[in-house]
Amino acid sequence: MKKPRVCILRTDGINCDEETFYAFEKAGAESQMVHVNQLRSKEKQLADFHILALPGGFSYGDDVHSGKILAVELTSFLKEQLSEFVSAGKLMIGICNGFQVLVRTGLLPNQRLGKIEAALTANDSGHFECRWVTLLVEHSHCVFTRGMEGSLIDIQVAHGEGKFYTDPSVIEKIEQNDQVVFRYAGIDGRPASLYPANPNGSLNAIAGICDSTGRIMGMMPHPERHVEKTHHPNWRRMPKSTVPPHGLAVFRNAVEYANQM
Amino acid sequence: MLQEVRVITKKNLPDSKGEEVLYDIIHALSINSVQKVRTARVFRFEGIGAGEAALLAEKLLAEDVFQEYKVNGPVITDANVVLEVAYKPGVMNPEAASLMKAAADLGITGLMAADSSWEYGFYGNTITSADVERITSSLLVNATVEYIVQERPKTLVIHGTPGRMEMIPVRQMSDDELLELSRDKLFLNLEEMQVIKDYFLRIGRDPTDIEIETIAQTWSEHCGHKTFKARLIVDGQEKKPLLKRLQNATEDSKHPLVLSAFVDNSGAMEFYDGQAICGKVETHNSPSAIEPYGGAMTGSGGVFRDIVGTGRGAKVLASTDMFCFARPDTPEEDIPAGCLRPHYLLRRVVAGVRDYGNRMGIPTNNGSVHFHRDFRAKPSVIVGAYGILPAELCRKGRPRPGDLVVSLGGRTGRDGIHGATFSSGEMTDRTIDVNSSAVQIGHPIEEKRTFDAILAARDEGLIRAITDCGAGGFASAIGEMGEEVGARIALDRAPLKYPGLAPWEILESESQERMVLAAAPENVDRLMEICQGYNVEATVLGEFTGDRCFSATYEGQEVMNLEMAFLHNGLPQRVMQAAWRPTVYEEPPAVATADWVQLYCRVMGHINTCSKEPIVRQYDHGVQGTSALPPFTGTGCDGPNDAAIMTPILGKPYGMVISHGLNPVLNMIDPYQGSLWAAAEAVSNAVASGASPRDLVLMDNFIWPFPDEELLGALDLAVDACVDFVRATGMPFISGKDSLSSTYRGKDGTVIKIPPILCISAFGRIPDVSRTVSADFKKAGSQIVLVGHRNTSEMAGSIYYDILEYLGNNLPRLSPTALMQVFEAVYEAISSGKILACHDLSEGGLAAGLAEMCFGGSVGAQVEIPDKELAENFLFNETAGCFLAELPAEENPSDVFGAVPCQVIGKTTTGSSISAVQAGGLLFEVELNKLKEAWQQPMREVFRQ
Repeated sequence: MKKPRVCILRTDGINCDEETFYAFEKAGAESQMVHVNQLRSKEKQLADFHILALPGGFSYGDDVHSGKILAVELTSFLKEQLSEFVSAGKLMIGICNGFQVLVRTGLLPNQRLGKIEAALTANDSGHFECRWVTLLVEHSHCVFTRGMEGSLIDIQVAHGEGKFYTDPSVIEKIEQNDQVVFRYAGIDGRPASLYPANPNGSLNAIAGICDSTGRIMGMMPHPERHVEKTHHPNWRRMPKSTVPPHGLAVFRNAVEYANQM
Repeated sequence: MLQEVRVITKKNLPDSKGEEVLYDIIHALSINSVQKVRTARVFRFEGIGAGEAALLAEKLLAEDVFQEYKVNGPVITDANVVLEVAYKPGVMNPEAASLMKAAADLGITGLMAADSSWEYGFYGNTITSADVERITSSLLVNATVEYIVQERPKTLVIHGTPGRMEMIPVRQMSDDELLELSRDKLFLNLEEMQVIKDYFLRIGRDPTDIEIETIAQTWSEHCGHKTFKARLIVDGQEKKPLLKRLQNATEDSKHPLVLSAFVDNSGAMEFYDGQAICGKVETHNSPSAIEPYGGAMTGSGGVFRDIVGTGRGAKVLASTDMFCFARPDTPEEDIPAGCLRPHYLLRRVVAGVRDYGNRMGIPTNNGSVHFHRDFRAKPSVIVGAYGILPAELCRKGRPRPGDLVVSLGGRTGRDGIHGATFSSGEMTDRTIDVNSSAVQIGHPIEEKRTFDAILAARDEGLIRAITDCGAGGFASAIGEMGEEVGARIALDRAPLKYPGLAPWEILESESQERMVLAAAPENVDRLMEICQGYNVEATVLGEFTGDRCFSATYEGQEVMNLEMAFLHNGLPQRVMQAAWRPTVYEEPPAVATADWVQLYCRVMGHINTCSKEPIVRQYDHGVQGTSALPPFTGTGCDGPNDAAIMTPILGKPYGMVISHGLNPVLNMIDPYQGSLWAAAEAVSNAVASGASPRDLVLMDNFIWPFPDEELLGALDLAVDACVDFVRATGMPFISGKDSLSSTYRGKDGTVIKIPPILCISAFGRIPDVSRTVSADFKKAGSQIVLVGHRNTSEMAGSIYYDILEYLGNNLPRLSPTALMQVFEAVYEAISSGKILACHDLSEGGLAAGLAEMCFGGSVGAQVEIPDKELAENFLFNETAGCFLAELPAEENPSDVFGAVPCQVIGKTTTGSSISAVQAGGLLFEVELNKLKEAWQQPMREVFRQ
């Protein structure tokens, strides 16, 4: 069977592209690095891929707002390609900076290109923070977390602007439609409102959301940084035989779904 | 007229930047008149109308989910004081280019220039103008690069007409005139100035200003390493030059893994799978002293370029940072004129390292901070970088005649003019005014995309040779690259940030984020194509000639033509006198400890022992997905580890280990033993994590006050220590750097010499990371084993003595030969899988190491102190090369560690305290939480966590 093709989108300042590339390959996909210039020049076509991955980093330095300049570029030049990609039922994942980009294009939470309905704003702590957090996987439509619902997973966050914020009405809709995919959790496994379990002060402890179809997903934590046993800070404290690295499941789910396309 | 857009976070939402500023106002400045701070962004645009500015506000600048904006109007209207802080004109604001790009993407035409800045609103009815003055000068404005905007600027476009080239009539100059020419500008001594004069007398013409500048920076201490190459007379006896000694020791070690030592921008060793790993450590003290944020950024950016400029181009894997400052709470009156407050320096340097490394996507996963009063005049900022590249590309490329000189990356501006010569000069109270041009704001994204393009070009075989533009700019980069063949460039081809640079400024400018390549003519088109694909500007400046001259033209006129031979070999070898005279520091009288719990807490809370986690958390240490041993692990991820271990080849078990060691205080007492300690500490950190001493290489960084006879004697001893360490252990130095200018001279005659520092970094390879350990205790009931040689009466320079307010003379004396046996034994024990956890002993001694292992494992410990030992010495002695190991109860220590000294000092417990007994009696029992609180508090306060 042919492997699903993943477009790993790069541009100035994207810097989690190689590990995201590797995570998808390890999950059984065929990754390809694609610079946004190659999509603008039509040298490469989104249509040739099954999955679009927006990796982490500081696209264009996160100037003005994190992910903003790239979001403007995508909505200005790739609107059609993106709309067709979405309506073709294909998958999109935005990790960290990629999540910020998806929200600022309007693709999340509600697939409205050009209409911004939520924001990822400066951490309450006021600075960039890199630490491991526990995530509660919510019951949602998200295809990236199938079979993981209800579990707690360890993933690293590394960002300065990760506070999920939006109007009460929007939050309510997101919650009602089961679009919350991940929440920051405390040791008790419950959603955490307090630092450091909730590292940025996100409303409702939201760490990741998806659109109403569950095929577009964005998250601040970095699943691609937990696809090897030795990625976990405390792998030396863990029993020899243990579950696969928590982040890998996200990529495997994507590949499995794409295989059905 | 300029259009202004102001954007502010909605009133009901937190303003975390404002809260940060308020925290500093209260805690760093102890000003209590300010109740609240609000911040706003200010954006300015030239060449568009108000309508287009509004469109930009809507689509780009403001998001109404959480923000509000005004076009050409104020957004902070109710504050008692409002002020705006912006970059000075000419200081490039990295955000400006993004504003231009996004505006173009949004279809807005005619935008000529854009800028952005911050506005602060201060609330409080009792705020005095004196308060505002202190807040701005100590917190918000660094006058070197920023200013307070009083009125709306007329234009953002920087105009200027190039200064003309000048002839410098050195042939007629008297000695006094030569010295005046050198002062504050060339930093050369009279003999060197005379050699220059003689050269131009000989060739029968006067030099151009460009030629003088090029010679000065090539001959600067920073680039020429005159002291390390000097003939040395030590106590009347001539000794080999310092650099020669280090290089000979490395050659003699014949280490099988060394691929490139002392010849390239970084040193390289063999890794696995046909790959090589390389490392480089740099100091960046002088710029960081006057503009810590920009200084630290350019320090990081520079050392990263050293890595990518290694061989035919390497990928940067990791970044490290070692800092020395005065205590953050140093009183204002204690700070010399022209120097910045340590609290501000520490926070801004950390921010600079953070913002450069994180944006580049390079994990910063190893480092340390050291505090000593004498750093108040000049901090030490040491930044390291490590990389990987195919082994067959790891040797320095050589340009051939006919190859083209290609510059890549950032544009050239008036940044860092005289950086090389400046960092070679001493810091004085004139430094800030005279050399303010020597710093700039780094642009990590420019550097990142440039590296992306370089690695793509490398993989297509388009790079014949590569080097970075650092100190000395194009002059140094092209001058060195073309040393054997010669190079001719057209200065007017160099893309400029703004008009108005004189030819010599273009050649000497130290604008960041620039690389120089040598490429065969047939490859240049493809090279340009790749660069365009990554939004990287690339320009052919000229060619490598074959005439062995370094020449340059400007608008068709020749402005420089120097023989490479004179430029690189004309510098007279210095003859320098060295003689070290030990100072006797009193030993403290024996004091019986009254309150052990309080003493233990004071040691853990000592600023040189305390947890640096609040700093580490601001650095991304997980990016690239390579982490196999992060800085902190354990049940709460707050137990510190000794080294960083990464798996650079994703999916492979091969590990790269990185560690370092330094101890400024010990070097003051005894440069030889202090330097051995640094080497032992660097290696111990790597070995404690599971590295084999046979798979490690070393790098040296000497940061010394201006070397008078006394300090040169100390330097001589430090180098001897390094050489003896190499000869005893076989671990070679493969890269190094010296910075011999950390002396401060105030106009009132005060002279402050910062403590001499030898920072030794170690890196190496590990065949399988699954055979490594972390420092956190894994379970209760294990044996705690002390491994290594130590004489506990050697307490000089310890934290314990510092608490007693003594320095002492009797410092740990190390035997490299004995150390090597310990390293071997510890490595064998760890790789055989018998050790559950291991930690090396350093600041705070056994007591601190034990506590840190308990914090990580959330287990308690019971320790038994031998009757013959003085408890204080047993617990707080800081002999390097000693280890605490966690060994399962069933294992027999002497089976595991063989012949090397090892003693079971206690066991881990299910409890939540550390207790010590001696002679059958309980000496103390202290709760872990109490120790941890004391240990975490100091940096939490400084970094608001």
